[in-house]
Amino acid sequence: MTATRSEPARRADERISDAGARDEPGGSELSTPLDLLLSEAGRGPLRRFLPGMSGVRLAAGLARRPGAVVGRAAGLGAELARVQVGRSEVAPHPKDRRFADEAWAKNPFLKRTLQSYLATGQALRGLVADAGLGYGDEQRMGFIVDNLVEALSPTNSPALNPRVLKRTIDTGGGNLLAGGRRFVKDYATAPRVPSMVEPDAFAVGEDIAVTPGSVVLRTEVFELIQYTPQTTKVRSVPLLIVPPTINKYYVIDLAEQRSLVEHLVQAGQQVYCVSWRNPDARHADWGLDTYGQAIIEAMTAAQDIARQEQVALLGICSGGMIASMVMAHLAATGDLDRVAAFSLAVTVLDQHQAGLPSALLSHKGAAASTRASREKGYLDGRALAEIFAWLRPNDLIWNYWVNNYLMGHAPKAFDILYWNADPVRMTAAMHRDFMDLAVRNALTQPGESTMLGSPVDLGTVDVDSYVVAGIADHLCQWESCYRTTQMLGGQSRFVLSTSGHIAAMVNPPGNEKASFQTAETNPADPAEWLAGATKVRGSWWEDYVEWLAARTGPERNRPRRTGSAAYEPVCEAPGTYVHDR
Amino acid sequence: MSTPQSAPESAPDRVRTISVRGITARISVRPGVGPFVNEPPLLLCNGIGVSFEVLQPLVDALDPRRGVVRFDVPGVGGSAPPPTPYPIAALASWVARLMADLGHQRFDVLGLSWGGGLAQQLAVQSWRRVRRVVLVATGTGVLMVPAHPSVLLKMSTPRRHRDPAYAASIAAEIYGGTMRTDPEKGARLLHSVTRSGPRRGYYYQLGAMAGWSSLPFLRLLRQPTLVMGGDDDPIIPAANPRLQARLIPRARLHLYEGGHLDIVTEAETLVPVVEEFLLAPDHDL
Repeated sequence: MTATRSEPARRADERISDAGARDEPGGSELSTPLDLLLSEAGRGPLRRFLPGMSGVRLAAGLARRPGAVVGRAAGLGAELARVQVGRSEVAPHPKDRRFADEAWAKNPFLKRTLQSYLATGQALRGLVADAGLGYGDEQRMGFIVDNLVEALSPTNSPALNPRVLKRTIDTGGGNLLAGGRRFVKDYATAPRVPSMVEPDAFAVGEDIAVTPGSVVLRTEVFELIQYTPQTTKVRSVPLLIVPPTINKYYVIDLAEQRSLVEHLVQAGQQVYCVSWRNPDARHADWGLDTYGQAIIEAMTAAQDIARQEQVALLGICSGGMIASMVMAHLAATGDLDRVAAFSLAVTVLDQHQAGLPSALLSHKGAAASTRASREKGYLDGRALAEIFAWLRPNDLIWNYWVNNYLMGHAPKAFDILYWNADPVRMTAAMHRDFMDLAVRNALTQPGESTMLGSPVDLGTVDVDSYVVAGIADHLCQWESCYRTTQMLGGQSRFVLSTSGHIAAMVNPPGNEKASFQTAETNPADPAEWLAGATKVRGSWWEDYVEWLAARTGPERNRPRRTGSAAYEPVCEAPGTYVHDR
Repeated sequence: MSTPQSAPESAPDRVRTISVRGITARISVRPGVGPFVNEPPLLLCNGIGVSFEVLQPLVDALDPRRGVVRFDVPGVGGSAPPPTPYPIAALASWVARLMADLGHQRFDVLGLSWGGGLAQQLAVQSWRRVRRVVLVATGTGVLMVPAHPSVLLKMSTPRRHRDPAYAASIAAEIYGGTMRTDPEKGARLLHSVTRSGPRRGYYYQLGAMAGWSSLPFLRLLRQPTLVMGGDDDPIIPAANPRLQARLIPRARLHLYEGGHLDIVTEAETLVPVVEEFLLAPDHDL
């Protein structure tokens, strides 16, 4: 693949490795967890648990403060003594489901075990705080210590977890036998984490991704799905959805009543959606430009079929990043009037201090990671899934560890987790381009990056935009998503949904608890925006439908057929690319 | 959406993923229509390391109303890799289960090259369920008249499926037949339409055949069998199909001028032979 690498590709590689050479330990501040994921996935998760220089600095920091260490040790000793005589007040967080069983409170042996564990964990976490480390090292060591503490939880041990002990007696050990089988199956193939859903829990095209439609265009890179209108009148301007390149598109078309696509179709939109191909080693050279070109091809097809001069665009997560760059390209070439409305969901364009453990991504890491994916030709989605799980070990690892292996239960069937377990590979060139954007935070500076030969200046994108983020999103922090409103040139409506990255997207109306926040003005500071925002009951899907309807032209009769003479339907939705593992 | 009122000539192929014994497999099913609604469908077993798209020309040449099932072997194309290496018998049992899950208690099987090994194993192992067998350009496993060592060496890696230039350069030598006049054809066939899985999938497939041979049990096959082979097939010298046809009790031999992949590249001339065999009344076989 080296021989075919283009000049810009080589420059991007050089930039990344240069950045690696200049890497100041702990001095990097330009990471989002997304980049972190991409960076780590190139190299495997083990590396994250090696403290490296941060560990050395932790030891050095503690050595400088012997008083603090002695104080911690003494405090822990005293607490453990109180635990032994049953006088300790240490108790788990009331919402910590791990210790919900009453045996933890009533059985004196288990109670003491639990209290010793909690006290020791507290002391360990305190030590990191005592060491007086810099921001980066503290985040890194905090992460490692947290993981260690969570791994050592007595609930993870078959001999100490009362629920497991009861079940072992009930089943005569059958749970451990079944669990052992599950363990072998899970760890034989990547991702080497407990499976969160059974492989046959759902079937794509049978009970998820079922909104009727046809594939009207198939290229090497993507399939374009045109959804069949379900209303007699439709909005004249079609809506094109650009899903993330990191997972399958059907996160927006889960089961019936949980599908954003279905909701939009039933609201009278003409919906088109890109379904990316799952690339392999042969497609290593597909970079940002390949995907940008694909979006333009899809726009053209949607325009032609609907016989319109315009489309509305909705980009999601990494799909939103590429779509934004395409918008800048259209602005640079004078074609921006092709887009009637631009929407972004859970997308981060400004990576500066994009939250969460920024210290976990180093320039060196980025360089090593892109090197690794270049050799292989692609970045495996399964490696991403491993990293992702280890970012939230309590929810995504230990919870299933106990359920699958110790209790011997099958994980519950949950459509989002099924989707999550169906990853897409990322081509080496795309991985490099994304890392390059992240390391230089290039989208914030006009002209720092290019799309299809045009310099990218997001300020020139003066189309109305709709920007959605989730308040509990640990992948794309809402404050970072919010900064998009300051970068785009047009009128922005920012909507802050409840819940996290995926659940914010899958937010069907009808949920009593659903709500979102929005405001009339977009001040520069996200905190100020939040203070001025008002809370609206209901799902943002309904708000979005209203916003779209105002911008997607007058209603007209539904088209009589899908596709057109030039775009004959190839096959039914969900198409064939979505099935490539 | 299909339009029921227009009485289609053939039902559309539907690509799906289903999970069989915990392994997610990508399959393509074309249901039978008209006279073929209640007939056993034809299961196609593919050559090594390629996804089922490669068989498209063959499917197009079959009777459009015939039901056809294709699948990607675990670890190849769009199917998830199996957790461990597997013997061919395990795969045959998995395939039988796949067909049962699809609701086909009886079916015909056509095996091409590597898939021919699988087809022979299926025929003997699930003899109640396999009605007729077609073996194309395939051998009897380790006990067969071997190909030239240089051909075997090239078959031992999946590189030809990943590197189009390499595929074009060796296609003539390993596939013979029409590939000799048009090696680009082979490269196109193997590169543009197939989906490549992890390398591990390919090696598991190679490993599945290690130590396996159908020679001892060919006499036990009771199904009517059509054995096809090319006279210019460097991978499977023509002595092999001859041997198979002699050993299988109810076998019919069809030797043709051509190479290893001609059933795909020259489908319009070879597939009618298959159709004729599948349609022939039982007492003629």
